[in-house]
Formats: sequence, structure tokens, C-alpha cells
Amino acid sequence: MLEAILVVAFGGALVSYFLGRWTSRIRDYFALGVWIAILGMTSYLHQIEPKISTFYPGFLGYDLSLRITSLSWLFAVTVAAVSVLVIIYSFRYIKGHEKRNLFYFLLLLVNGGMMGITLSGDLLSFYIFWEIASWSTFLLISFNRGKALPAGLRYVVMSVIGSAAMLVATLSLYSSYGTLALSDLSTHLATAGGGYVIFIFLLFFVSFGVKNAIVPFHTWLPPAHSEAPAPFSAVLSGLLVKMGTYGLILIFYLIAGMKIFLGLGTGIWSFHYIISALAGVTIVVPSFIAVLQDDAKKTLAWSTVGQAGYIVLGVSFGTGLALAAGIFHFLNHAMFKSLLFMSIGTVERKTSTRDLNELGGLVKRTPVLFVVTLVGAAGLIGIPLTNGFFSKWMLYKTLILEGNPFLAFAALVGTWGTVLYSYRLIHNVFFGQLPEKYRDVTRTSFSTYLPMVILSIAIVFFGVFPGFLLGEINVVTTSLGFTPLDVQLWGISSDSGTVNTLNILAALAVVGVMVWYLFRSSAETTEVSQEDSYTAGAPVPQGRFTYTADFYRPLEKIIRPYLKDRIEDFYGMLVGFVGVLSDTVRRIYTGYVGTYVAYILALLAAVLLVQLGWKPW
Amino acid sequence: MDRRQLIKWLKEPLKMSNKYSLHVVYFCTGCGIIEIPPSITARWDAERFGVKPVATPRQANLFLITGYVSLKTLKPIIRTYEQMPAPKYTVAFGSCPIDGGMYWDSYNTINHLDKYIPIDGYIAGCMPRPEAVFAGITHLWTLIDEGKADGYKKYRRNYSQYRSNQERLYGELGWPPRFETEGLENE
Amino acid sequence: MVGMKIAGIIFSPIIGVITGLLLTGAARKMVARVEWRYGPPILQPVIDLIKLFFQRPPSHGKTFDYGLIASLAGSIVLVLFLPVGRLCPLSEGGGLLLITYLILIGPLGMALSGGEGANPYVSIGISRKLILSLGYEVTLLLILLSVMSEYDTISIFNVVRAQSENGWSLFSWPLVIPGLAYLLILPAILGVKPFDVASAPQEISSGPHVEYGGKYLALSKLEGGLSEFIGIALFVNLFLGGWSIPGSLHLPAGVLGVFLGVLVFLAKVAFVFSLNVTVSASFPRLRVEQAVKYLWSWPAFIGLVGLIIVSAL
Repeated sequence: MLEAILVVAFGGALVSYFLGRWTSRIRDYFALGVWIAILGMTSYLHQIEPKISTFYPGFLGYDLSLRITSLSWLFAVTVAAVSVLVIIYSFRYIKGHEKRNLFYFLLLLVNGGMMGITLSGDLLSFYIFWEIASWSTFLLISFNRGKALPAGLRYVVMSVIGSAAMLVATLSLYSSYGTLALSDLSTHLATAGGGYVIFIFLLFFVSFGVKNAIVPFHTWLPPAHSEAPAPFSAVLSGLLVKMGTYGLILIFYLIAGMKIFLGLGTGIWSFHYIISALAGVTIVVPSFIAVLQDDAKKTLAWSTVGQAGYIVLGVSFGTGLALAAGIFHFLNHAMFKSLLFMSIGTVERKTSTRDLNELGGLVKRTPVLFVVTLVGAAGLIGIPLTNGFFSKWMLYKTLILEGNPFLAFAALVGTWGTVLYSYRLIHNVFFGQLPEKYRDVTRTSFSTYLPMVILSIAIVFFGVFPGFLLGEINVVTTSLGFTPLDVQLWGISSDSGTVNTLNILAALAVVGVMVWYLFRSSAETTEVSQEDSYTAGAPVPQGRFTYTADFYRPLEKIIRPYLKDRIEDFYGMLVGFVGVLSDTVRRIYTGYVGTYVAYILALLAAVLLVQLGWKPW
Repeated sequence: MDRRQLIKWLKEPLKMSNKYSLHVVYFCTGCGIIEIPPSITARWDAERFGVKPVATPRQANLFLITGYVSLKTLKPIIRTYEQMPAPKYTVAFGSCPIDGGMYWDSYNTINHLDKYIPIDGYIAGCMPRPEAVFAGITHLWTLIDEGKADGYKKYRRNYSQYRSNQERLYGELGWPPRFETEGLENE
Repeated sequence: MVGMKIAGIIFSPIIGVITGLLLTGAARKMVARVEWRYGPPILQPVIDLIKLFFQRPPSHGKTFDYGLIASLAGSIVLVLFLPVGRLCPLSEGGGLLLITYLILIGPLGMALSGGEGANPYVSIGISRKLILSLGYEVTLLLILLSVMSEYDTISIFNVVRAQSENGWSLFSWPLVIPGLAYLLILPAILGVKPFDVASAPQEISSGPHVEYGGKYLALSKLEGGLSEFIGIALFVNLFLGGWSIPGSLHLPAGVLGVFLGVLVFLAKVAFVFSLNVTVSASFPRLRVEQAVKYLWSWPAFIGLVGLIIVSAL
């Protein structure tokens, strides 16, 4: 079964490429069919006994194996579900684009690679699938050429560093213990010394940190996300980046185990606390950098970095509630961030810009798009009754009750950054007077709306009934050795404060209906057009009458000096240094034969001299 | 509040609340505006009657036009008046809006403001002092009580006439008619 | 117990709305007295509301309506999660963390509603409002975290109960520091005079309320009164002991006790509000960046010191 999933995924990618040369319509539906089949197969594996199956015995004298656990099932089913929706979304989006076949091939390859990552049973096959996903990601990021090429290049450089770190760690583990199977490694690492464990952890942390965009390694992400095609941005942000999270959980909790991971150092100087602090920085700074962006997709990209901070904070903090919150936030993030990237992608397609200073007034033209974007932004902020609220609530609760108010402060302040940029996104795209040039924006097709509507329904549904997902997550955290949470359909009950989403829903519904009735029963209104608005009696300027540019100018004046990306500067310095070094080296090769002859003669002379010097007789 | 007033409140809450909560949008067209600051600040304190200046016509129900109305300012006045929500009252202030005042023969000044928007009451004088403003407001109360301050209904009823008067001045006004002009005249 | 809960669900929003309205009226009267004026009757906001519900306002679309409805509904729901005296119908669930998120629904609903009004003044007002919120929220979060760490709970109900046994937080050692910080940012939370940048009538024509007339203005006034009530009620609950009386006095049990508890609570709310109105009547308006600079300097510093001391002890 596990092999079948991968065979279908990779085979489907190849077949759809060749089908596309014949007819594009069948290729679309074929790709969709492949991933619906994979989703079906993965769902069928629900709560199966953990099992291992070898799929390539004797690869370089080593057996490659697949393995399914509750953890990998959860990630795999998310990958499959989001992939299906993204494929539906790409039907319309990629139409009229060149190289559609390549796009589908690469998209399916990335998704297949991610399935392989989640299902792999040993570190070598993990590495292989990781590389498949990484390299096809590079091709997809730079799919649009132009500005996308340097973005892709930047990604590939950092990704190669990460992969190298992972390879070193994998080889080191293999040479120490002679095995790479996940189940065997966990018994071996339990007896290893603390220094060696930290060495392994650091290498893996670099690798997964690059993928997950934790603060010192985040610089590749914003350009990559904003330049990639929108369906792939959704995959990149919702799933691929979070493969880093999967790797972290894998290495910290499944291979090393909770005891080793939490036992490295004490107090503030323990390993997991330092990672948590890094995650705290990852929440705050990128969330406020996102406020200052003028590019809609870049805002979302920085927001991805910030939200990844929440997830890593949950994973590294080391309580059961925090880990559950981290995994839950991963699932939620996959929902709302894919939704937001899809909707901004649609806006970009309709208006052929994603500059927040240019757009405006689209709520009059595309109301459905507005509603789904609003739901996605609400999930991103974490308004109660959307899914983002519950995962954040769990995270804050454990941070406060475990005595870490400063990390909780970082997380809560990051939420305010989220409020600011989410509102700006909604406002600048959808509100204000409709500019003249967008008067004829039409509604999009059904296949574009469908995945967004499904995702927004899921956001609200899992916000009201978080118990559905928390039940699955509870299985995962219990299998990793944490005490099970008391999960109800409406949330979590414990003695130190519960939250009951049904209470909130009931209260909001009843009060909302009452207020609505009050509103309804008072004097009726007259509908007026957008031009009829208060301007102290002056006629409303036609065409463009909105306040979008420099939306947070007073704040920007205060915070911009502090939000300079010094890490980016540092990397830039490093790049400049390497450039100078290579330039110096390059000067040796002058391209003039006489110089080379001089080099050879000088070398010969040196050799001769050395030979003469070494022969005293 | 004595019993008679209480009964009045229960009988006609709309009239009573309209009377005692006049939110004013001042349109400072001329010199009359100089009398407004004393009347709303500590010396005369209009707020004790529930009269309160607000920022936009959407929030207001009393439109106070202070001073002469030039051709250029009439257009914003019409627009502001039309933007106010329905039970609304207009009070013109000083001699000029009544018949042009000292600018009666100016090429650029409106002589009769009530040709263009309905006026519920005038406060005469050049300029009326704050006491006169309060006298005007108390008189407006009696008008509201008796149901005579119905300028907004008049405007709705005779919109085509007002509109044609306005268009005679400007040609094209720059916004579509607020109400359907046809059909209403026949009623 | 169930009867009390139902009573709480019915009465605490009503108390919140009425208190919010009366506070607005009292504020107008008090400002008038400070300025040596006679001032309007205290019931003036009620008169204004009745008038506004009878007016026929213009509407700008569906979001314009439903955003405002959501805003008011969110604020009313928030009152259900706050202990009002001893009426605390839902405050066991979620606690302070839920409150920090429910507070968002009010302003964001109004921001959505105003956004469709398509008036630049609305956008400027909302932008200012969000920046100012960020300004005071930094300090407010530090304060909330200090309180939660000190009492080791996230439930606001437990905080109030602990104070009724051990004395008010404002007069107990480490929590006096965050309490002072809260007093410094309270005018900004209420949006009164030095910090009324968001709805400045003279600069940006009352900001988010530009396009509101009639019942829209009425609903947003109700929401404004409620959010003032909420801001003070949070302070009273966290630092002034909610329903509890200082000293060895204890409220009787039963319905009378609940009634007296609500009265004590409202008296505290009125006292704190009158302090803020006095501040409001005597200061001119700050620019938004001046306000944020102020909020991020002393109050945030005091809040940070408070959190460090609380977590160190």
C-alpha cells in the first residue's frame, strides 16, 4: 500500500507530462484523479498499526524502507488533501501559460516527493525524497523567469547548504551505528553522549531550519514565495516549508525521544529553550516586516515565516500541549495560507498586479472572493471560531502555565503584527472606491472558487469543532510519549482553564441574531453608490478615491529603523566576500598564453628548487 | 422631567427625540459663523439643549447655514443637505440667505436660498447674537412639535422643481437625481 | 447555580450596554462641568439613540451592515466572558486569552464595515486605530501576562476570586507595577482625549464613523460605550478586585450578595471612568506617532519591569 501511493504519485507525474503533449484537458483531470486516488489511499491507512515495508532492498548494500505511523499519516493526509485542492485551483490559473506540462509535472513531483518524505522509513530514503522535492521546488520557483530566477537561485543555495548538513548528519549516524532505519536509530541514540547528540541535532536543525525558514535561515523564503506561481506558492507555504517541521518532530521526538531532547542542558541554556527563543524571534520580527510590505504576496510570504515561528515554538517547547498546538497550527496554516495565496493569486490574475498601493474596491466586483479571503485572514489572525484561534490559544496557555511569559509575550505581540497586515491586505485589495480600470473585472470560474470555498468552510468548521483534528493529534502526541490531553469535540477540558467553542458559537449566534433584529426592525435604509460619500460637499474625485498607499505610515516611521533585515545584510556581506575572493582567484586566469607559460615555468623552477634543496648530496 | 413631558415622550418618541437631540452640521458660508463658537462654548453652552456639532452630514439632523451663499458654495450646500438622513431640518442664519442681504445685487450671491433647498426657519439679523440662535432653536422645537418643520418632505415632494432650479444655475449638477422626478408630481 | 448563570447571561450584557451609555452621558456632563458649562442631561445619549433609530440613513452595501452588526455582537459576547460583579456566566471558559482575542472582533468588524464605505477618512481612522491599538496592546499584554503568571491561571474569574481572598492586586507588592502601567495606558484603551486620534472629528471627520448615520451611528455608539465599559471592567477585575470590598467586610451570599456585588463593581467602574474623563477634559489631542511613542516609552517600560519582577519572584 505504501509503495503503491508513491508509485501512483511519481508515475502520475510522468504520465501526466506525456498526456499533456497530447491533450491538456485530459491531463488536468488525470492529475486530479491521481491525487484523489492518493488521498483515498492515504485516508484508508487511518489509524493503521505502525508498519514498515522495504521497497528497495540492497540499494548500495542498504535497504530503503517506507513506514507509516500516526505522525506520518497526519502529515501525509494533509499533503494529499491540499494537493488535490491546489490541482483543482491550477486548472484555471495556469491556462494560457507556456510550459503547462512542465508545471503539472513539477507540481506532481513536488507533491510526490512530500508524500515520500512523510512516508519514508529511514533517513536515506528521507534524504532522497527530500532532494526530489527540493530540486523540483527550485524549478517551480523560477518558473516565471525574470525576477523569479534570482529568487530560485537564492533558494537553491540555502537549500543545498541544508541538504549538505543533513547528509553529513546522516552519514555520521550511519558510520556510528551502521543503520539508518528510524526505528533502530532511536534505540541507539538513547545511549549516545550529549555532545554527539547536540552535534547531530545542530546539523539537522540547520537543514530543517532552512526549509522551515527559522530566523537565521529565512532569507530565501520571501522572494521565493512571492515570485512562484500562485498555486505553487500555496503548496510551498502550506506544505513544503512545513516538511521542515515534520523533520524536526521526527528527529527530536521520534528518533531521539522526548527525554534526550528535553534533557540537553538546563534552564535558559537548554537546547530546546534556545530553539524556542529563536522561534520567538521568528514570530515577532517577520510579522512586523510583513506590515511594511507593499507586495501582497510578499506580505503573505513574511507572514509564512512568522507563522512558522508559532509552529516551531510549539514543537520545540517540549510540553504535550505545545507539541499538539504546533501540529494543530501546522494543519491550520496549511488551510488558511493556501487559501490566502490562492485568493491573492486570483486577484493578481484578474488585475495583473499585486501591488497593494494599486489595488482597491474589488469587493463590489468579486464578493465571493472577498468572503473567502476574509475567512482566511480571520483564521490567520485567530479570531475565535476560526481554527487559528484554537491552536494559538493552546500554545499561549502552555507557555504561560509553564512559566515562560516572555515567549508568550513574543507570540502575542506577533499576533498584533498579524492583525495589522491582515487588515491591510483585506482593505487595500477589496475596500475603498473601485478604481476606473477595475470596473470590468469579472467573476472567476467555478474551479477557481471551489478549493477556496472548501478551505474556508474547513477553517470555520475546525474552528468550531477543533476536537476532530485534536483527536488525531492526540494520538500522535501520545505515541511520542506525552500524556494524552482530554479532548472534547468543542475543545480541551482541563482544570487550569478550558475553552468551549460551542459556548462562543451559541453566544455569538444568539447575540448576533438579536442585534440583527434590532438593526432590521429600525428605520429602513436607502442604498447609495460609492460616489455618494462625505467629502465636505465637494464632488467625489472619479476613478481613484482611496487611501491605500503608506497605510501604516506613522507606524512605519517609528519601526522601520529597527526592522532592517541584518541577517540579510550579513548574508549579502558574505556573498560579497566570496565574490571578491573568487574574483581574486579568477585573476590568475588571464586568458593570455604567455601568463600560463610563465606560471608553468615558475612552478617548474619552484619544483626544481625544492628538489635541489631537498637533495643535499 | 415632569409628567406631561413623560407622556409626550411615550406618545411621540420620534418628535421628542428629534427636538432634544439636534446634531448640527455648520456650514460656514459667511461671517455668521463667528457667532457659533460662543454659542457652543462655555458662555452660552448649546449642549445643554442637546445641540451638538458633529463632523459629517451623515450624523446630523440640523443644517445651519451661516451667512450669505455664493454661487460656488451653493453646490456643496445642496450636496450636504442631500446627504443628511431623513428627518432633517434647515435653519438659515442672518439676513443674507433670506433675501441676499447687503449682497442683494451681487452677481455671485444667491438671493433666495429656499428656491434651492427647503428652509424650515430663518434667524434674522446681521448678525444674530447667540441669544437669537437659541430663540431660533426653541422656535424650531415648536415647529417640530406642530409638525410644521417638514422641509425634507417638501423637498421630496417637489424635487423636480428644486432640481430644475438648481440646474438652471449650474447646467449639469454632477450627480444623478436623488429621487425619481417623474410620477411624483401627479400625486 | 444554573439560575444564576441564566441570570448572568441575561443581565450582564444589559448592564454593560446601559452602563456604557450612562458613562458616555456622564462623561459629556463631566467634561461640561470642567469647562464651566452646564452640560447636557445625563440621559442625552439615550435621547440621541432614540432619534438615530428613527432616522433613514444611507447604506453602502452588505459588508457595511453586517460588519457593524458583527462588531456590536462581538462586544456584547465579550461582556459575557467578563465577570460583572458576581455575574460571570461564561468567564470560566477561555479566560484572559480568549478575551484578548474577542476584543479584536469589535474594532475589526467596524473596520470592515467602514471599509466598504469607501471614504478615505474611514481608512485613515482605521489605520490610526490599529496603530494606536498596537501601541497600548504591547503594554497591555505585558500586564496581562504579569497577572496570569502571578496568579498562575489564565482564568479571569480565578484572578478575581483570589483578590477577594488576598486583597486587591493594585495594592499588593509585585502587581502594583503592572497596575500603574495599566493606569497609564487606560486613556488610550478607552480612546479618550489625548488618544482620540482614531475618531478625531476635527481632523478626519470622526474617522470610522464618517459614513454612519441613523441606526449605523446608533449601533456604533452602543459599541463605543460597551468597549469603554469593557476596558474599565477589565481593569477593575484584574486590579481592583472585581466585586470585593476592601478590609474585613464580606458581601452576603445569595441574590442580595450578587446584587450588591454588581453595585460595588459598577461603583468602581464609575470611579475609574471619572479619573479618565478628568484626564480627557484637560489634555489636547496627541498625534498618532506621539501617542505610540508615549505608549512605548514609560508605560511599556514599567510593564516590562513588572513582568520581570513577577517572573523572577
